[in-house]
Amino acid sequence: MVSNILNNYRSVVGLAVVLLVVLLIELFEVRAAIYPVLFPFFEWLKYSSWIGYLGTTYGSVYATVQAGHLISMAVIGGAVLVTDLRLLGVLLKDIPSETITEGTHKCFKYSLIVAIATGIFCAAGVADKVYYMPVFWVKMLALLAGSCFMFFIKQPLLNSRPHEEIEPWTMRLLAVASILVWFTVAATGRWIGFS
Amino acid sequence: MINELLLQFAQWLEGQEYSQMLVSGYYSWNWLEATHVLTLMVSIGSLFIIDFRMLGWILPDVPATKIADRLHKPMIIGFVIMFITGILLVYAKPVENVQSLWFRIKMLLLVFAFINAWVFNSRMRAAEGTWDSARVAPKPLRAGAIISLCLWCTVVAMGRFIPYDWVDCPKVSNTAILWAAGCVNELNAL
Repeated sequence: MVSNILNNYRSVVGLAVVLLVVLLIELFEVRAAIYPVLFPFFEWLKYSSWIGYLGTTYGSVYATVQAGHLISMAVIGGAVLVTDLRLLGVLLKDIPSETITEGTHKCFKYSLIVAIATGIFCAAGVADKVYYMPVFWVKMLALLAGSCFMFFIKQPLLNSRPHEEIEPWTMRLLAVASILVWFTVAATGRWIGFS
Repeated sequence: MINELLLQFAQWLEGQEYSQMLVSGYYSWNWLEATHVLTLMVSIGSLFIIDFRMLGWILPDVPATKIADRLHKPMIIGFVIMFITGILLVYAKPVENVQSLWFRIKMLLLVFAFINAWVFNSRMRAAEGTWDSARVAPKPLRAGAIISLCLWCTVVAMGRFIPYDWVDCPKVSNTAILWAAGCVNELNAL
């Protein structure tokens, strides 16, 4: 029976485990213990790594990479909105949602890789500042949550069967959750610039 | 002459109460800028999906004009919000923007991007039905899509460069750059 549950509800069980781990981390104050240990890494990232050196020495390189980060986030936004508005039945209603989901996911994956790579560069240039910013950590958590949600819950579910067989409310919830989580990633990213 | 007129107009705008209110309010400025940047996801996000389809990179089995038609509305909504917030951002800091080389290049590129969009749209309508099911659009439309991608990427980059001060008027001595950036006082002092 246990193996049956694990096979049929792998994503749900995975999510439950992740939530449990987060809960335990908070309960046993692991996060508070890890936080100071991370500071030397952030200092190294800014003052000793080559990306930190590039970012702090050449303002034009830093700004160009920032622009790349913005563009990749725009493509992520486009892919997420097109997919999720289709799942909600708002856009592209005459095209099968399976086709849209499959087509935009490729675009999403590549943009996410570019966004993470350029994001690391941008963070390295101001690593000693972002370390102290709560909004930076919120963004990292939102990014982690968004990526896990996308690769372990949303895509596996949408690829598992024809979309007519999925409960309509499940599809709507998936779409709304996806829009909200990626909006949070983008909005917190913007807010880092104001802090 | 044109630089002097632009600067006078910008100084007049900057003297207005609402302009001062926008720039001095921490939240008004941040909300405006955040909305301007976040709407990129709707406007440029939709536009890039259309361009990628024209190039055959994504959704090759879906008719390209169908994608362009259906994403037209959200894209336009995104651009309208971006322009409104963009105009307000300029209104909040008119002198700084009028004397920014990056801002001027951005405006020029925006004009090119809209001409390209208009030509692209006309060509797409003219060729409608002849290639719709093809995985890749005809060469002129592909060229239009690549020009669109390049122009908008550069527009975003120029927008990102505006807050940086590498070519701010007091830091530049090159006459051509001073003229291009509209640094009236520095040019007069030469």
